Amino acid sequence: MSERKKVIGEAVSRIDGFMKVTGTANYATDFPISNTAYAFLFKSEIAAGKVMDIDTSAAEKVTGVLAVVTHKNAAKLTPSRGLRGGGILQDNNVEFWGEHAGFVVAETFEQARYAARLIEIKYEKAAAKTDFEKHEKEAVKPKAEDRADKIRGDFASAFQTGAVTVDEIYETPIEHHQPMAPHATIAVWDAADKLTIYNESQVVNGVQGAVAQTFGLEPKNVRVITPHIGGGFGSKGGAWGHVILAAMAAKAVNRPVKLALTRQMMFDSVGLRQKNVQHLRLAATKDGKFTALAHETTTHSAINEEFVEPCGDVSAHMYEVPNSRISYRVAAMNIITPTYTRGPGKSTGSFALESAVDELAYKLKMDPIELRIKNEPAKDPSNGKPWSSRSVVECLRKGAEAFGWSNRKAQPRANVQGDFYVGFGVACGTYPARQRDTSAIVKLTRGAGANVTAAIELAASDLGTGTNTILAQTAAETLGLDVNQISVKIGDSALPPAAGSVGSVGAASFANAVYEGCLKALNELQAKTNRQYFNAPTAAELLDAANLKFYETRVDAKPPEGTDKYSSHSFNANFAEVWVNRSTGMTRVKRFVAATGAGRILNPKTAHSQIIGGGIWGIGMALHEESLIDPRYGNFATRSFADYHIPSNLDVGEMKSVFINEEDKIVNKMGIKGIGEVGIVGVAAAVANAIFNATGKRVRSLPITPDKLI
Amino acid sequence: MRPFVYTRVDDAAKAVSSAAANTQASFLAGGTNIVDLMKEDVARPTELIDINRLKLAQIRLIGEGANRGNIAIGALAKNTETANHPLVRQNYPLLTQAILAGASGQIRNMATNGGNLNQRTRCTYFYDVAMPCNKREPGTGCGALEGINRMHAIFGWSEKCVAVYPSDMAIALAALDATVKVQGANGATRSIPFAEYHRLPGDNPEKDNTLQPGELITEIELPKNNFAGKSYYLKIRDRASYAFALLSVAAGLEMNGATIKQARIAMGGVAHKPWRALEAEKFLSGKAATEANFAAAAEAEMKSAKPLEHNKFKVELGKRAIVRALSMAMSGGKA
Ligand SMILES: Cc1cc2nc3c(=O)[nH]c(=O)nc-3n(C[C@H](O)[C@H](O)[C@H](O)COP(=O)(O)OP(=O)(O)OC[C@H]3O[C@@H](n4cnc5c(N)ncnc54)[C@H](O)[C@@H]3O)c2cc1C
Ligand code: SF4
Repeated sequence: MSERKKVIGEAVSRIDGFMKVTGTANYATDFPISNTAYAFLFKSEIAAGKVMDIDTSAAEKVTGVLAVVTHKNAAKLTPSRGLRGGGILQDNNVEFWGEHAGFVVAETFEQARYAARLIEIKYEKAAAKTDFEKHEKEAVKPKAEDRADKIRGDFASAFQTGAVTVDEIYETPIEHHQPMAPHATIAVWDAADKLTIYNESQVVNGVQGAVAQTFGLEPKNVRVITPHIGGGFGSKGGAWGHVILAAMAAKAVNRPVKLALTRQMMFDSVGLRQKNVQHLRLAATKDGKFTALAHETTTHSAINEEFVEPCGDVSAHMYEVPNSRISYRVAAMNIITPTYTRGPGKSTGSFALESAVDELAYKLKMDPIELRIKNEPAKDPSNGKPWSSRSVVECLRKGAEAFGWSNRKAQPRANVQGDFYVGFGVACGTYPARQRDTSAIVKLTRGAGANVTAAIELAASDLGTGTNTILAQTAAETLGLDVNQISVKIGDSALPPAAGSVGSVGAASFANAVYEGCLKALNELQAKTNRQYFNAPTAAELLDAANLKFYETRVDAKPPEGTDKYSSHSFNANFAEVWVNRSTGMTRVKRFVAATGAGRILNPKTAHSQIIGGGIWGIGMALHEESLIDPRYGNFATRSFADYHIPSNLDVGEMKSVFINEEDKIVNKMGIKGIGEVGIVGVAAAVANAIFNATGKRVRSLPITPDKLI
Repeated sequence: MRPFVYTRVDDAAKAVSSAAANTQASFLAGGTNIVDLMKEDVARPTELIDINRLKLAQIRLIGEGANRGNIAIGALAKNTETANHPLVRQNYPLLTQAILAGASGQIRNMATNGGNLNQRTRCTYFYDVAMPCNKREPGTGCGALEGINRMHAIFGWSEKCVAVYPSDMAIALAALDATVKVQGANGATRSIPFAEYHRLPGDNPEKDNTLQPGELITEIELPKNNFAGKSYYLKIRDRASYAFALLSVAAGLEMNGATIKQARIAMGGVAHKPWRALEAEKFLSGKAATEANFAAAAEAEMKSAKPLEHNKFKVELGKRAIVRALSMAMSGGKA
């Protein structure tokens, strides 16, 4: 018996990579279902009011059209609370521009799209709240308990007596998730009360529950199949109206139906990241000790749906500060509901906090890294709990070294290279680490030639980040097998229920369940063998000893007891070097380094991809992304990738990621803290701070486009 | 998209007679613009006349005697091929730069020169059929005039339309004093000086250019010039590649010793057509190529700019861009 071969933590290439690059991985609409019809949505073209009449006659005459469904003939449903964004045709109310008004089902996609163009809708318009600047002042306290005002100490007097202060407004615009794969669904009724949904869902069981409740079905009679996801970033977390409409369409024509959103529809169908206006006030003593911090966010949400991303969270956990105030105010507006978007609240909140810290450092003439380290909290200042682990200082130090921070010039415009101002910026980020209940089945099989294989089954999801791979690694090492002896089956609600790939809980929840399931299988097998082992036996040895060809077990994994006595978060430090053209204002991020402390890193290769992916989105957030509403109509004027810019290759220079070796024995059994969200947090501030260092211009409103720098 | 008839033609005569027979028809070249517009329901041709088989893809030397050195580029030559053709690279590097500043490699591989000239505005109101737009649907109003108009015009717009023309290639062609050769329904050909090819919106923004219905672009002719070594295409955009210009400048300088004999300056992203900066050109003629003169020329040109609510920055950006493009041209493209 030898030591277990190390597989967890190795840079294993994606086990599904070959399928993906050869086009054999099925995404939502790729499933070869026979006899499918195609649904195409049509949408409201007012932001508030009522649909008075819909003339469908011309559409119905189009060759190939099978059905036209509007609120007038839609099936009556009981919308589940898990359903997001409305638009399932239950009445004639319109609450935002682009709310689904109906759909056409036809033999082909083009027939359905053409017919949808021929629909004529008459409206009764009502006054619409579409102009944030106008309705900002109507913002009120959110209903959600965890967005209540959080007050520690006496902010007002501490701020007033602060030796050095920053008091600024930071604005971030509406952003859209716009994953590579637009949302799409195939719905198949297997029987009158049995439904199969092929979809891209980050939370498999969540979509199953929402669809079941909406159609009044037993959850077990709704099967959600979602083996691959072409990105989601939060937009594929909930069940949106089009998923329900696909099933409604399939029922209406009594055939399987495919429904895919166009890129343009993605702007008003599946949520967004809301615009945030953040008022940040920070005070410090002359030697840089923080004394007061207020982080007050004003935002918007839908008329009948409240969602407020937690911008103030970063201010709750990042620094030692005795007096603090965190608050939210939200205005109900005729704009589609906001929802979780990568690094919810933290990515936008850190832009405000980490810009303010940089502004303070400049006023104090202190190095921004040293200022941060000076205010490093020993315990979580928001609740007094000890950290299960926290590597902010290591992130700053190691990152600074990898980046070459010592070459930074403290004064703006001091580093000029030809036509460019060059600047360095730093900013930190954080995201909570959590594990959620997840079950898993482990099946061990001894085949010909004593070749042992394991199948791992759970209703997890893989956003494209490498979940399949890290689960195979976890099982391989725990069972003492090779990665290629493991098959991973996820993305199917018929499998044991699992948490979602949301909020950075995926890796911790799924991998711990697989780990526990594998251990359980080994323990149960060992009990059957009645033998003693010096070293942990492998699954192969145990099957052999127990003389079994097959063994199966199931685990229902839960977060370990006692973790709530600690505060567990991932942390990072981001470093950016920008080159700003002195005459045109065009900015390029020439180099970027993220140093991340996120517990155990299961696979440095996929983790690196995650972190630089977050970094690139952060660069986009800093420089490019912005969705603009024309307040006269309430529609998005930016409605394609020609207007809604994300970084191109040429905008992104060298991207580096370093991980801090962090062993967290408290957060969960495997010590996983999660990296999906934290990668974007702090990035926009690092870029904005670098732009200040380069040009002396402090831009507090994202994105920082050339016009803001000339 | 709406149903349409697909017709493939083999020669120019058939192309123009087919177009004459159906006023609702459109030519199909690379398809990178017209097909997009059809998917979005903006363009609704009842027939697409595929002209890809026409023998109009050559890039060749033309001109005799004093005109030796002029070239003609075919309407159906791809943007990529045109940009990389030795005749273009050597004698018209401004055109190469402008083409390569546009779109992406994949799109330039499909896009043709004729299609590029006739690509339509990227005004988002034009693209969204739920919005008012005089260009798409005359009489419905201009959505952008009082809407989101950061990308829109600062020169030559009318109350009817404030759109800008999006092509990069055409900005260089304007600076190069190109001529557009077209063939009409009856086979008649005409030559349109580039400055007269595209038009300002006036009361008829639905018309982008002066082509008559059914006319086919066959070639674009370029006169030889004396500023090959001193030209530059500067494109300022919201990201480093794959974005339309916020503003662009094509600049060429013909020198007579230390003084400027002739300056050619055309701007993109500022008007409904490539905007020849004639004021700036006039100012520079006979002057020394100094930064101060470039700045004064830019000032003279931008004086008449009329920005809209969201594009005031284009006035300052335009000045900077003219100065920078001229400086870069002077230094042979090196910073
Ligand atoms: C994502 C994207 C980004 C882009 N970015 C840029 C950019 O940054 N800069 C830039 O300049 N351009 C850009 N473009 C536009 C691109 O350059 C044009 O789409 C392309 O040049 C059109 O050429 P085509 O051959 O595909 O034209 P088509 O789409 O085939 O035709 C366009 C129009 O021209 C007409 N037409 C074509 N040939 C002729 C002819 N010989 N005679 C008369 N009429 C004709 C057609 O009937 C049609 O109305 C971009 C396009 C896309 C899709
Ligand atoms: S600017 Fe021109 S293209 Fe844009 S909406 Fe107005 S009329 Fe239409």
